[in-house]
Amino acid sequence: MFSKFKKLKLATLAFATVIAGGAVADTIKIAGWGAKSGPLRSFGVNSEAIIKAAIDRVNENGGVKLADGSMAKMSYDYYDSACNAEQGIAIARKVASETNALIGIGPTCSGVAAASFGVFQKKVGDSSDTGLQMPLLTDTAVRNGLAKISQWTFRNTPNEPDMYDKLFAWIAKTNPDIKTIYGGTETNQGHSAGTYSKVIVQAAIRHGFEWVNGPIDEVSDKIGSGFKNVLSSSSNWLMEDTNFSVQARAFKKSGADLFIVSSHPFTTCGFLKELSRMKGMPKMMVGLTSSSSAEVMKGCPKQAEGMIIPTSFAPITAAAKEVAALAAANGGSADLHSAASWENVMIIKDVIEAVGITGDPSKVKEERAKIRDGLEALETTEGLIGTVTRVQDEGEALKPFVFVHAKNGNWEVLHDPRK
Amino acid sequence: MSFGFIDILQSLIDGILFGSIYALIGLGFTLIFGAMEKLNMAYAASSIGGAYVGLGLATLFSLPLFLVFLIGPIAAGLISILVYLVSFRLIPSTNHLGSLMASIGALFFIDEVIIHETQGSPLTFPELGIFAEAYFMLGDLGFRGDLIFIMIFGLISMGVIIYLLYYTRLGLATRAVSQQNVAARLCGIPIHTINISTFVLAGILGGFAGCMAAASVGVISPLLTIPITIKGLIAAVIGGLGSIRGAIIAGLMIGGVENFFLLVRGVNERDIYVFLLLFVFLVLRPNGLFGNEINRD
Repeated sequence: MFSKFKKLKLATLAFATVIAGGAVADTIKIAGWGAKSGPLRSFGVNSEAIIKAAIDRVNENGGVKLADGSMAKMSYDYYDSACNAEQGIAIARKVASETNALIGIGPTCSGVAAASFGVFQKKVGDSSDTGLQMPLLTDTAVRNGLAKISQWTFRNTPNEPDMYDKLFAWIAKTNPDIKTIYGGTETNQGHSAGTYSKVIVQAAIRHGFEWVNGPIDEVSDKIGSGFKNVLSSSSNWLMEDTNFSVQARAFKKSGADLFIVSSHPFTTCGFLKELSRMKGMPKMMVGLTSSSSAEVMKGCPKQAEGMIIPTSFAPITAAAKEVAALAAANGGSADLHSAASWENVMIIKDVIEAVGITGDPSKVKEERAKIRDGLEALETTEGLIGTVTRVQDEGEALKPFVFVHAKNGNWEVLHDPRK
Repeated sequence: MSFGFIDILQSLIDGILFGSIYALIGLGFTLIFGAMEKLNMAYAASSIGGAYVGLGLATLFSLPLFLVFLIGPIAAGLISILVYLVSFRLIPSTNHLGSLMASIGALFFIDEVIIHETQGSPLTFPELGIFAEAYFMLGDLGFRGDLIFIMIFGLISMGVIIYLLYYTRLGLATRAVSQQNVAARLCGIPIHTINISTFVLAGILGGFAGCMAAASVGVISPLLTIPITIKGLIAAVIGGLGSIRGAIIAGLMIGGVENFFLLVRGVNERDIYVFLLLFVFLVLRPNGLFGNEINRD
């Protein structure tokens, strides 16, 4: 799955394991958690469906190779963290202390990730820090910069600053008539509001776009600059809102060339319908990564027509197409969040095989540490639409991505920056 | 974004039109309170639940989508009967807190059932046909066709309910139960049947409101339940619990206030002013706008 590796370090780990001997298991357990109840349940359902498909695939191919050369099956338990920070923390503690799971995958929500990553040990080997010592490889929570909270937490999530930077660079190059921007977000949704106010607007300004009413105080091309002023200068809504008349009117009145609509599918559709009803559609629209989902195409395909979104998943390779089909067969759907679960399972399998794991329940703590070391050592992994570069000191990923746009009721690839 | 007089006027118009949904929900709260002197906190959840059932059945049996607006209210009426049975009928009538807590439980139960059945995903909801795209301009002011339809529907509902309550035997019995429960029973009025009738009537009304709320966005989501419950309840309280016209007027007023403060203070402060309005009424006019209509012993 990954091409470059700190081979010597891993080989040493594997050798040491074999020399040490000990019992080997016939099953390697992993844990997953995400929102399986509440309004974001579909995220957890999709992730679990793909984790199941990936583990089935690993097991169909014989399983995972252990330190002694024998093969073990993989199994998983999936827990419901419900997009609730307390629940996410409780699950992390339970999995780490009461199960033999060697690693976790999750959670769904950035708010849960931000809170629960804090209960993991911050620095490996710090005896004064009694935080959880179990590796976690996140598939969904995408808010910028979360993995560095702990050296035990890693993410295989899209790098939104990079994606929006490239997107606006491309728009500036290919659409010179687009000059002014205006936007809004769901202020009570961490990912939507954070990405909008700290990443998207700054990326647009970086590439020469101007806020329609003149520069916003303290906002520059730097990530996060003046984010509070971005929010106060925008026309925003809440995740549960149903009336968007004031916001749509503000967007229309702005007369900007490009509208940024940073929200999840439910309000994206409500807002776009109101905007369309007022005949306020702009020359171009840019949406939030999470909106490049089937929900928007089901809810408002006509109004979303033309909206451009960068995404780290699209069924453009044979592997991606296969995962999309497997997700559907397992009752889920593959998108930029859930598809990462497939990659995560494959990464975990490769790391387990590389570092030499016995699966012996009495060595859980030691083997969790080995897997963490293995994850940290990764330089690249093979993703569904291309090679993923690991940002090793931060535990983050730089995933390949494409720009999709809504066209005739589907998300179609508009531009492929990989080429 | 700066705004002028027209913007303020427009936001008030939009808000008042959208307030029709709060008014319809407030009307349901007030109907039940008027009949039983109890709050049914699961009312808006039953309404949204009905809309979901309507959508589900229409999808399952490939029915014409307009039937959602027929099935939804009927389903909401049936759900309301269930809520009545588990939250009110089976709990001693003197235990007001028990009924209140049971109806809160029913609210979350219905909400969770919806979430589990739909995986929490917003579902496309049929719009109000020609009204959905209709947008009328009067000078610089715009009016949404679907919200005008909902407002007219709300006013007609108010008229129908007033007719039922004041000009029919059912209404007479309902008012008798409402005003003197024991005396009504001694007169041979079947109070449980009357209560169920009130729940069904309120449920059907709520089912329409739920369908309208979803149709106005074109999407239905469990996220709708809590905000509509809160705003509908505030409408009922400000209007004067038990007052039909009070619920309608207060619902429209809340819509206007909400949208006005959304324009001038932004989304994060919007609801603060709605709650402030509630506190002002509770302190200065605790019986609401038309609370003196409640003539209880």
